[in-house]
Amino acid sequence: METRLDSFSYDDAIVRKFLWATVIWGLVGFLVGLIIAIQLAWPAANIAPWFAFGRLRPLHTNAVIFAFGGNAIFTGIYYSTQRLLKARMFSDALSSFHFWGWQAIIAAAAITLPLGFTQAKEYAELEWPIDIAIAVVWVAFAVNFFGTLARRRERHLYVAIWFYIASIVTVAILHIFNNLSVPAGALKSYSFYAGVQDAFMQWWYGHNAVAFFLTTPFLGLMYYFMPKAADRPVFSYKLSILHFWTLVFLYIWAGPHHLHYTALPEWASTLGMLFSVMLIAPSWGGMINGLLTLRGAWHKVAVDPVLKFFVLAITAYGMSTFEGPMLSIKSVNALAHYTDWIIAHVHTGALGWNGLLTFGMIYWLAPRLFQTPLHSKKLAEVHFWLATFGILLYVVAIYSAGITQGLMWRAFDETGRLQYPDFVETTLRLIPMYWVRVVGGTLYIVGTLVFIYNLVRTWMARPKRYDVPVVQAAPLSVQPAAHGAPNPQPAGAFARLIGMGWHRKYEGLPFAFTVLTVLAVVVASLFEIIPTFLIRSNVPTIASVKPYTPLELAGRDLYIREGCFNCHSQMIRPFRHETERYGEYSKPGESVYDHPFLWGSRRIGPDLARQSGKYPPLWHVQHMADPRAISPNSIMPAYPHLQRNTLDFDGIQSRVDAMVMLGVPYGDAVTRAPAMAREQAQQLSTAIETAGGPTGLADKEIVALVAYLERLGKDIKLAPPGVASAAKAGVTP
Amino acid sequence: MIRLSDIVGASGLAGYAIVALILFVFAFLLVLVNVYAPSRRAQHERAATLPFDEGVVATTPKSGLAPEGHNR
Repeated sequence: METRLDSFSYDDAIVRKFLWATVIWGLVGFLVGLIIAIQLAWPAANIAPWFAFGRLRPLHTNAVIFAFGGNAIFTGIYYSTQRLLKARMFSDALSSFHFWGWQAIIAAAAITLPLGFTQAKEYAELEWPIDIAIAVVWVAFAVNFFGTLARRRERHLYVAIWFYIASIVTVAILHIFNNLSVPAGALKSYSFYAGVQDAFMQWWYGHNAVAFFLTTPFLGLMYYFMPKAADRPVFSYKLSILHFWTLVFLYIWAGPHHLHYTALPEWASTLGMLFSVMLIAPSWGGMINGLLTLRGAWHKVAVDPVLKFFVLAITAYGMSTFEGPMLSIKSVNALAHYTDWIIAHVHTGALGWNGLLTFGMIYWLAPRLFQTPLHSKKLAEVHFWLATFGILLYVVAIYSAGITQGLMWRAFDETGRLQYPDFVETTLRLIPMYWVRVVGGTLYIVGTLVFIYNLVRTWMARPKRYDVPVVQAAPLSVQPAAHGAPNPQPAGAFARLIGMGWHRKYEGLPFAFTVLTVLAVVVASLFEIIPTFLIRSNVPTIASVKPYTPLELAGRDLYIREGCFNCHSQMIRPFRHETERYGEYSKPGESVYDHPFLWGSRRIGPDLARQSGKYPPLWHVQHMADPRAISPNSIMPAYPHLQRNTLDFDGIQSRVDAMVMLGVPYGDAVTRAPAMAREQAQQLSTAIETAGGPTGLADKEIVALVAYLERLGKDIKLAPPGVASAAKAGVTP
Repeated sequence: MIRLSDIVGASGLAGYAIVALILFVFAFLLVLVNVYAPSRRAQHERAATLPFDEGVVATTPKSGLAPEGHNR
């Protein structure tokens, strides 16, 4: 009997669109990265409020992760999913909505972030209306993807599809729960969580954004495109199954390693470390599986730029995933945290793993999508070497910078005093390394320009009309229940358990498979989240810690708008070198009203948790206007506009109201926040004038920011001795 | 009023994470045993070749690209 075949075609037009978006946004993201690298080495390059490091840094990270990385993922997923499932995408309209929706979100990010609209949570900076748009577009993508799964003509789901499923569902969960917030304006919101809980949620999200946006989907691409480029199947399909499940089981726990020695409960920190260390096993299993796919074909690497990119990308994945577990070990993290070491680690992953894998994939796709040979293999080779040397220069310089700064922070002289008490000294030492980073980044970008030229020339040689081949495959309804010969029923309970093919069965059932993946992710998350949120002793309260005044709250919002948290932490770790430099270590109860938390993850400038009383208000006014007039070698941008901009006093009420909705006890401020803010601003302005400072600041933004800075760490100093010691001991007073 | 956090705090969940760890290790072992069962071999070999099976092309592209491999 003749088998009935369905005729259909693959939608490559959508793949071409995502490909171009990847290329364009990639260049934008890299260029913004170069700009902020220059700004760190040469602060005069901070030429406008919207063109300062604090506002551009999130633009760089968002552009690279979600614009470049996101579009690269979609390029590969749309191409490979259709072919692995032998089905056109479920809906061309949804594909188109996904594409244009995603680009609109990126454009919105490119406008709002430089204007200072940010939630102040790393990689989740975008404000609430954009977050809703992301959720809508992501759901459209998910419907399109799972609809394609439902209409597939291949019963078995190849391992790449599993990685896509895990990415799609987990990113949705992470995005929704980390971005829960209460709006306080059209483009302003406050995180639903505060302090320790907010920090925990943020790094549960932040680490898993790396896992399920920059790792699992790219692993799916690796498992599809590496065998295609090498023209041989993956080294071990069994290993790929183990790679998948171990990664999904382990990754979701690892977030707390971003918060070692902070006010996060110690048990959560230790748990995060243990799972992070275990992660090396699946990660290296995947790396080995990727590289050994080239067994017997290593000679091809010498002549094929696609394979060169893939090999180096997978090697970078191996390096990053060795380093990640190492950095999660508390004693290593104690040195590396807040330093450039983390930046170097991230860039080994982003430039090496994500960047090079994307370039390799596009070089492989371009001739197929444009239906003409690649313009120049030689230029692809040139690109490869420029990118390789660019990455090397970048990471060697920034690893050196990180270790240098970490060691300088903790150095004591023979008298037992800090050897480098002036923080600027430790930054100044890094400037030559920052310039080397600029050179490395420039090389990477020049390589990207060569890549774009090669791609455009290839595109120009395309046929007048693209061929759309008609493909035929048997529908699932006429295929046998499972491929391969039927297995004889094994004897014995254990033999039946291992032989009954339950895993095999789920591999072919997308819904059940998705449920299992979600279970693995959700259950693991809840095991960490529930105790963190519901056991009160994890966040001991401190009686003297009160909510910010309305003016301080407005100042805090300015601190967020200018992106100060990108360079200044507010979390003193319990190390002698930190308490000597900054003061008493931070307690979990100090940040119970901090929506969002502002602990920071990098110290380009000093920690500010104990800023109160350190300098008079006039010092702050002068320092913000011209940092180098106060501290000659400072690399901080100047903020003279804060003395010119009028503070929106009337807008403070809606912000206080939003805080009240979150449970912050605001008392009188519920009804008269603007008046209270004006009173405090007048007092502060008078104090600045009396000290010989500029006049007429009572209605300017700078007073709010100074009020906020003067509040940092003030409450803990007011705590009565009994309360302070109870908080110190980690118990509820 | 008794709060949920009081109840959870008093319920002695110190070993909570350990239970999760044991469950996950058990699930992993189950996958491990199943994946490496000798009877799976033929299925895995077939699954590994899926990227090379894109369906039967009924019409040939004009550009004459080979289905796999490289152009230059």
